[in-house]
Formats: sequence, structure tokens, C-alpha cells
Amino acid sequence: MSDNRQLLADMAEGLFAELSDADFAGAWPRLAEAGFSTLLVPEEKGGFGGDWVDVLAVLRLAGRNAVPAPVAEPILAHYLLARAGIDAPEGFVSIAAPGRRVPWGRHADWVVSVEDGKASLHAADACMFVEGVNPAGEPLDAVSFTGAPIASAPCDHDLAALGAFARVAQASGALEAAFALAIEHVNTRHQFGRALAKFQAVQQAMAEFSEEAAAVDAAAAGCAAALDGLDEAGFEIASAKLRTNLAIDRATPIAHRVHGAIGFTMEYALNRYTRRLMSWRSEFGNDAFWAERLGRQVAALGGKGLWLEMTARSDRLIDAA
Amino acid sequence: MQIFPIRPFNPPGDIPALRQQVRDLVARHESRWQLETRANPWFSFDAEFSKALGAAGLLAMNWPKAYGGHERTMLERYVVLEELLALGAPAGLHWIADRQTGPLLIRYGTEAQKRKYLPGMARGEIYACIGLSEPNAGSDLASVRTSARRTPEGWRVNGQKVWTSGAHRSHAALTLVRTEEGSERHAGLSQLMIDLDTPGVTVRPIVDMTGSHHFNEIFFDDALIPLDALVGTEGNGWKQVTAELALERSGPERYLSSHMLLVALIDAIGPDPEPGIAQLIGRLTAELWTLRQMSMSTAAKLDAGEDPVVEAAIVKDLGNAYEQALPRLVQAAVDADLAAKSDLSRLLVWLLVQSPSYSLRGGTPEVLRGIIAKGLGLR
Ligand SMILES: Cc1cc2nc3c(=O)[nH]c(=O)nc-3n(C[C@H](O)[C@H](O)[C@H](O)COP(=O)(O)OP(=O)(O)OC[C@H]3O[C@@H](n4cnc5c(N)ncnc54)[C@H](O)[C@@H]3O)c2cc1C
Repeated sequence: MSDNRQLLADMAEGLFAELSDADFAGAWPRLAEAGFSTLLVPEEKGGFGGDWVDVLAVLRLAGRNAVPAPVAEPILAHYLLARAGIDAPEGFVSIAAPGRRVPWGRHADWVVSVEDGKASLHAADACMFVEGVNPAGEPLDAVSFTGAPIASAPCDHDLAALGAFARVAQASGALEAAFALAIEHVNTRHQFGRALAKFQAVQQAMAEFSEEAAAVDAAAAGCAAALDGLDEAGFEIASAKLRTNLAIDRATPIAHRVHGAIGFTMEYALNRYTRRLMSWRSEFGNDAFWAERLGRQVAALGGKGLWLEMTARSDRLIDAA
Repeated sequence: MQIFPIRPFNPPGDIPALRQQVRDLVARHESRWQLETRANPWFSFDAEFSKALGAAGLLAMNWPKAYGGHERTMLERYVVLEELLALGAPAGLHWIADRQTGPLLIRYGTEAQKRKYLPGMARGEIYACIGLSEPNAGSDLASVRTSARRTPEGWRVNGQKVWTSGAHRSHAALTLVRTEEGSERHAGLSQLMIDLDTPGVTVRPIVDMTGSHHFNEIFFDDALIPLDALVGTEGNGWKQVTAELALERSGPERYLSSHMLLVALIDAIGPDPEPGIAQLIGRLTAELWTLRQMSMSTAAKLDAGEDPVVEAAIVKDLGNAYEQALPRLVQAAVDADLAAKSDLSRLLVWLLVQSPSYSLRGGTPEVLRGIIAKGLGLR
């Protein structure tokens, strides 16, 4: 890890741990002050000048700490604005996810949408929100735009894909946190005269859990490398989001199973992670969405073409390294 | 605690050119390969192709030049392996020697042993097999009983190995034996490199459920094995075998065994699949891509001298589950006529019947998860 990235991660870890019990009003000013929003904005435009591997490091930690405020959305919003050449405003900028759902929309000062090859910046007073929440209880508000955007510019970025990457990164952290809780629990809880961890069935379940968390870590890292090193990372993002969704499907039941009833309480921390994982599985494309999109892409490549394409892409990343 | 920290896969040299070299070589030989030969390719044999790989410098790639190797990196070797598997090239004859027997001899063997075996292995002419399992020692490998007693004339070997892949086509078996009478479990074990044409050594076929003769039994009836067949240190066999197994768990052969069926599925379905099949192809691709990331990262760790025991077990367990599920998922989704002669039907039938073995060879899911659980501190 580069020194800069280590500093960034240390700062994020410290702040996120402090914020884990905050609400939006308490958390947002601290996040804004820390400057994560401009992580992907070039230094000459006043940003942090980071890359997607930096984003992965920060969002993984956000997921691991179940930060109850938007970390990913402003990073993507500011990135899109910078790419589209639109000056970024002050305040909290969120994004309009597919289906015009805006995470934390009711708190947003601005919303960035990408539609029909154009990125647009909307002021909050030109947005009408119908409030909703995701399974984790976080705002996920439906937006309709009631006035013209402040600015629009051509943009060939796929917001669904970038959002999917963000959820993969967050999920990798949340899975690790849920896994750590489960390890702690099976080591300390005793039944039948011994720690749960001493039962082979429990060991095997935990091993499976670790495999799924490992797969998401690998997918997230591969995806970040592709975003940094390739012209477009559609193949890697589709693969990573879909694999993450499968991991959520396989791992969250194990997390709850080994915890027993205590894991089903609001007070115990597990649900902070598993309810977010349940949300993120749907956000920015569920399994069917990415499976069909990726499957069509691969079908067009042909049987041998899949391998040729996959290896050509990863070989380009060797050159980039 | 990150369970699977990623190490980037950065082999030196012109990797696209290396891939092309393998692809060209395969293209020159593939006309004589049956479809079934190309499925599960590291279990299929073609001596001419093995020799061609040797002549092209694509075997023994990371071995010392003094023994016929090419002193390239493990990562370049990895690229060659994954190409062979993805293209369905029958690479089974030399696979074991190239993957584990040769490297073990390089690490533990005597100079004479290296001279005797390694150059031929590097040419793709000398093949080896793995003599570990016995009738009463499967997952519980430490209960092996085949005994070797030291006498002035040599080792007197008695006992039996079983499930030995390719023994009938191999020159030698690296064999785990009990050299200390009365020893138990991990103690008193040693490895002997036993030439299979030695009197008193009998190889008998076992027909597997695909109808193939792939694995065998090996019987040792008071066979006299030269004293200098001992590999490494007497009594150090368990440690050496553990090192050997680490080399074989995380490679691309742990998730690509059914790849030819995915290729056939994509080709049979055409460029505009209906949603259900498109989704299946997408799902398989996502798993394939992720497993490749994991396997490459583990290869990079091995190359850097790390000892990724847990990561390797994770790759094998997830990889086996994927390559084993692939034929079943295709069967569930595609209305294939199993008696038809189409590529898709033939591969599907072959791999449905073949794939139960994937999670047995090299260790079962329970054993792998036990290793992972140990790494997690649960046992
Ligand atoms: C195609 C093929 C090729 C092979 N090639 C070789 C070869 O070349 N050389 C060689 O030496 N061997 C070879 N093997 C043997 C292979 O290594 C063994 O099959 C494997 O180690 C399992 O041993 P077993 O078959 O005796 O099953 P067992 O060990 O009897 O296991 C049966 C079942 O019990 C489970 N089990 C066993 N112990 C435990 C436990 N402690 N806790 C929970 N579950 C347990 C297993 O997971 C499995 O599900 C090959 C096998 C196959 C199928």
C-alpha cells in the first residue's frame, strides 16, 4: 500500500469508527470536512487526486464500520461532475441511482443524474422527493425533477456500474465485520459444555463464510485495478457485483445461523451489516440484472472469445502496473 | 483481519506473446483430440503433445537450467497452465511431474536423483505419479501403513497404494511410506521415489465410472528399492508431503476442469440468448472471473515466497464447487438431448459423470474447510 493510501486509510478508519453511532446531522459535517468527496477529483481541480484503489480502501472501511451517512455517493457525484467539466457546488451532492432513487436524497443539497449520455446537476429545490428507506433503514428517496438542471454536459459514464462498484467495496467491508463478529461469537458462546467453535459443523460453516468474504475481496480488488488500468471496466464491474450478490446470498444466512437469536436483535451489531448487505444486493443492479447484462456481453464474444477477452484485459493490467 | 489480502499478478516478460505461443502449439496438435479428451484436460494423456511442450520450453519453466529447466518464473508457468486448460489441451501425462514431483526433487532430492529424473521430466518424456492414498488412508493420510524396512541391500517395501492417477503411464511414484516400525501418525514417515518397473511392484487398473482407466492400485510385495531412492530426510515425510500438497491446491486446474462445457454452451446458444440462459452464462462468468483473481493472487503469493495455506484451500474449495456445479447448472437450464452427438451433449454427459471426482482428488471439501478453520484459529 502506498504511504498516501495508508494515511488515507488510517484517517478513514479513525473517523468512521467514531461515526458509527451518529445520525446524518452528526456525521455529514465530519465527512465533508475530511474531504472524501473529492477523492477522485484531480489535484489541479482542488481534489485529492486519488484512484479507484483508494476509493476501494475508503469504502471498504465505510462498510466495515457501517457508517450511517453517505460516503460513496458524494465521491461518485464529484467524480462525474469533474469528468463532465461541471463546477462542483458546496454542500452534499448525491446521485440519482437507476430508477431515480437518491440515497440520502432528503438531506441532499444537490443531485447528479446521468441520463441519455448527459450528466446533470440538479439543485435540491428543483427536486421533489418521495421518501423511502432501504432494508437498513437508510434514506432511499424517489426523485422527480421539477425544474431544469443547473448544468448539463455530455458524459459517457455508466452510473449504474460505478454505483455497483461502490456497493461491492462497501460489501467487502461489511462482510469482514460480520465475519469478525461471528468468529468472536463462536469462540465465546458455549453450548453442550464447549465453545461453538469446537463443533465441526460450525467450523465448516465459518470456513464457507470466509470463502465468500474472500471472493468479494478478490472481486473488489480486481475491479478497482480494472477501473484504474483499463479504458472501461464494464466486464469486471458486472462480474464483481454479481459475485458479490452471490456471496451476500450465501454468507449472510451463515452469519445469522451461527449467532442464534442474539444476532436477530436490534441491539446486537450484526444487523447493521447484514441489513446493509441485503440492501446493497439490490442497489445498482440485482443478480438478474448483472447476470443478463454480462451473459449477453459474453454471448456476443463467443465461446473461445470469453477466454481471449478475459486474458487480454488482465494482461493489459500487467502492462499498466 | 482481511481474510484474503490480494497480491497483484505481475509476471515479467511479454505475456501476450507467451499465450500466443501456447495457442499456436495447441492449434498444431488439436486435430487429433476427441472432444472428451479436451474436457478435464489435466487428466487426459497425449505423449506427443507433452513432448512438444517440453521441446518448446513450456515444461519445467521455473526449474534450474542445470536440470533442463528454463529459469522462468512461477507466474509465467501459471499463464501456460491456464492456457492449456482453457484450450482443452490434454496435459495430464506430465502434469504431476511438472507441478509437484519435479519441484519436490529440486528441493529435497539428491544430486543423483535430480540428474536421473529432472531432464527427462523437462522434456516431457518422464512422468510421475502420487503415491499417497491407501485403502485405509484417504482423508486421514497420516494413517498410511505401506512399510519400507532398511536392509543392507535396500528398502524392503510392502503394502498398497490406491487411486494412483496415471500410474500405468508413469515411470516412477513418489511414495509415502512408514520407515520406522511401530511409528504412528505423522512420525516415522518418509518419501521414496520408486521406479514402477521394479520387480515386486505391480500396477493394476481401476476403471472409473466414466469407463476410463485413469487411476490404479499399486502393490508392493517385498519389493527391493535402492537405498538412494529416499527423497529428503528419513522420518521427514509428513513435512515434505505437506509442502508438496501446497503446490497443488490453488492452481488454475482447480476451477477450469469444466471450462470446455462453458465454451460449448456459449457457442450452442449463439449471440442472442434468451434471458434465462444469458443469466446462467453471466453467473458462470462472474464466478470464473473471480476465481481467476483469487488463483492468480495466490500464485503471486507463492511466487513471493509466502506460504498461503488458507488461501490455497479457499481457492480449491470454491473452484471445485464451481467446476462441479457447472455441468449440473447447464443440465438444469438447457433442454439438452443427452443421447445426441452434438458437442454440447457430449461434453455435458462426460462432465456430469466426471465432475464428482473434482472435489475428491487433492482433498475433500471437509478436509479443505478443516484447514481453513485451523487457519482461522477455530481448531
Ligand atoms: C479421480 C481421482 C484421482 C485421484 N488421484 C490420486 C492420486 O493420484 N494419488 C493419491 O494418492 N490419491 C489420489 N486420489 C485419492 C484422493 O486423494 C482421496 O480420494 C481423497 O483424499 C479422499 O479419500 P477417500 O477417498 O479415502 O475418502 P474418505 O477419506 O473415506 O472420505 C469419505 C467422506 O468422508 C469425509 N470425511 C473423512 N474424514 C472426515 C473428517 N475428519 N471430518 C469430516 N468428514 C470427513 C470426506 O470429506 C468424504 O466426504 C484420487 C481420487 C480421485 C477421485
